[in-house]
Amino acid sequence: MAKEPARVLVTGAAGQIGYALVPMIARGIMLGADQPVILHLLDIPPAAEALNGVKMELVDAAFPLLKGVVATTDVVEACTGVNIAVMVGGFPRKEGMERKDVMTKNVSIYRSQASALEKHAAPNCKVLVVANPANTNALILKEFAPSIPEKNITCLTRLDHNRALGQVSERLNVQVSDVKNVIIWGNHSSSQYPDVNHATVKTPSGEKGVRELVADDAWLNGEFISIVQQRGAAIIKARKLSSALSAASSACDHIRDWVLGTPEGTWVSMGVYSDGSYDVPPGLIFSFPVTCQHGEWKIVQGLSIDEFSRKKLNATAEELSEEKALAYSCLS
Amino acid sequence: MAKNPVRVLVTGAAGQIGYAIVPMIARGVMLGPDQPVILHMLGIEPAAEALNGVKMELIDAAFPLLKGVVATTDAQEACKDVNIAIMVGGFPRKEGMERKDVMSKNVSIYKAQASALEKHAASDVKVLVVANPANTNALILKEYAPKIPEKNITCLTRLDHNRALGQISEKLNVHVGDVKNVIIWGNHSSTQYPDVNHATVTTSSEEKPVRELVANDQWLNIEFITTVQQRGAAIIKARKLSSALSAASSACDHIRDWVLGTPKGTWVSMGVYSDGSYGIQKGLIYSFPVTCEKGQWSIVQGLKIDEFSRGKLDATAKELIEEKSLAYSCLN
Repeated sequence: MAKEPARVLVTGAAGQIGYALVPMIARGIMLGADQPVILHLLDIPPAAEALNGVKMELVDAAFPLLKGVVATTDVVEACTGVNIAVMVGGFPRKEGMERKDVMTKNVSIYRSQASALEKHAAPNCKVLVVANPANTNALILKEFAPSIPEKNITCLTRLDHNRALGQVSERLNVQVSDVKNVIIWGNHSSSQYPDVNHATVKTPSGEKGVRELVADDAWLNGEFISIVQQRGAAIIKARKLSSALSAASSACDHIRDWVLGTPEGTWVSMGVYSDGSYDVPPGLIFSFPVTCQHGEWKIVQGLSIDEFSRKKLNATAEELSEEKALAYSCLS
Repeated sequence: MAKNPVRVLVTGAAGQIGYAIVPMIARGVMLGPDQPVILHMLGIEPAAEALNGVKMELIDAAFPLLKGVVATTDAQEACKDVNIAIMVGGFPRKEGMERKDVMSKNVSIYKAQASALEKHAASDVKVLVVANPANTNALILKEYAPKIPEKNITCLTRLDHNRALGQISEKLNVHVGDVKNVIIWGNHSSTQYPDVNHATVTTSSEEKPVRELVANDQWLNIEFITTVQQRGAAIIKARKLSSALSAASSACDHIRDWVLGTPKGTWVSMGVYSDGSYGIQKGLIYSFPVTCEKGQWSIVQGLKIDEFSRGKLDATAKELIEEKSLAYSCLN
């Protein structure tokens, strides 16, 4: 007996990440090979024709799992009945724009989307904010959608987490699937802290610590961190466009693990509403190591945080507190 | 015990279709979720940096099935030991170019690539030509790679096939997964013949013929055909870019069904080396209805061809014969 379709919303769906993401969702990469989906695609009126082009292509691809496509510029129609919301739409930084300008634009977008989601999405809708500034957009969304459980509002740091796995796998010349339990702490920005202190590699003689295997603390504490923090810029430099493919893929990983559960012994990184764990101020959307089971995430507790890491955690938390203040000042 | 990785080449990998297809391949959409892959990506020199950006993103996405990435501008390195070759690279038509100019450029490209594949790919490499003029590029490739079995050289008409399924599903308001056995005959061009005479829809009780359910021969014989033939242009009009998402997805379908087999009672459309079936001249790459088993396609025989269809089959064959002449004249 086939499952009922899940309704998945993608905002900013006519853009680059949307174009990479929608075929992944339609193929079952986000929710599993046996889960039919109905896609809801939202974008702004100037993109309406392009959005319809994406819908046409989704019809043309004859995806067996795709049970319907709603392509619209109307946020109410887009949000109605959705079980998953992937918020890719946002105002991109343009040349000459100050940080406050980008923040102002995005804060109004996320305030109004919060309202629409809260009123029209399915109860227990799971939300993933991708558009930058991801953590703060998610925080605004949470603040203005009080009837959405705060645990259901997250932001994407799985891309950074996957990038960290990739860098370790390249450094050690091992398969990326044998590396696990890196952590991305904090903000999806250049203050993020990619932490390998608890990361391991599966070897023929068992799981070994990454730090031990790399045997180069200078690299792990310096270059490795910068590479992961600045990888987005490196992709833009090479492609002249930002990292749509890997962002889309990581968004699928984030939702899939959230909904279907993380593998035993493995955690992932998600930007979630801070409850004060690890002395991170509560009330921020902060990336933590989490495990997922029965559709719920839980922060991994009890990991030792050394002095170096403590400073990094504090720095990224501080940046998030500043962003929060800036966002609120834009709203007033 | 994990399977050995399969090497999959994508040419033109720094372009739009490449960017859409590589994450699909890396997720197992092309060869199955248990088949590890190594991606070989070939681009031309001007695209080298962008190509490297794609490689970086593939690493960043931490795909469990992706066991390696070779990104190169060297055809020999790209072709080495590949089991599957998706030829997306080609010279696009630019404003002011005559058909002969496009043909001329592409014919030299496919002659050179034929040579590289024949010398360096695995001996039973399966080839799918996507770049237009797809059928004729595939024919040139076949002519200049005589050691590659002619049955291993195909071109993509699965996109048109899937588009036809999509149009029927929309017309009848049924799910596309319940429509099957359309046929695309001939050239992947505006002379293709989308034929529903043997197509069916699976309803709750049985399989019913499409022609009977649509009950509108006028629509099926004119508007439906035109819509499918010109869908590429419609996508370009809406998106201002061509149909990368659906082309990539259909290329995955083409290879998957070829390698893993078509479902019982279902055929698909593939551009294959004509053996004279259905009165079509031998020695063309022509789209036929095929079933696939044990890694081999075979043309579905014995389907009734009415007079209307006969005219269409012959017209598209005629165009392919002209293209073949034009291609050969470019080579002299």
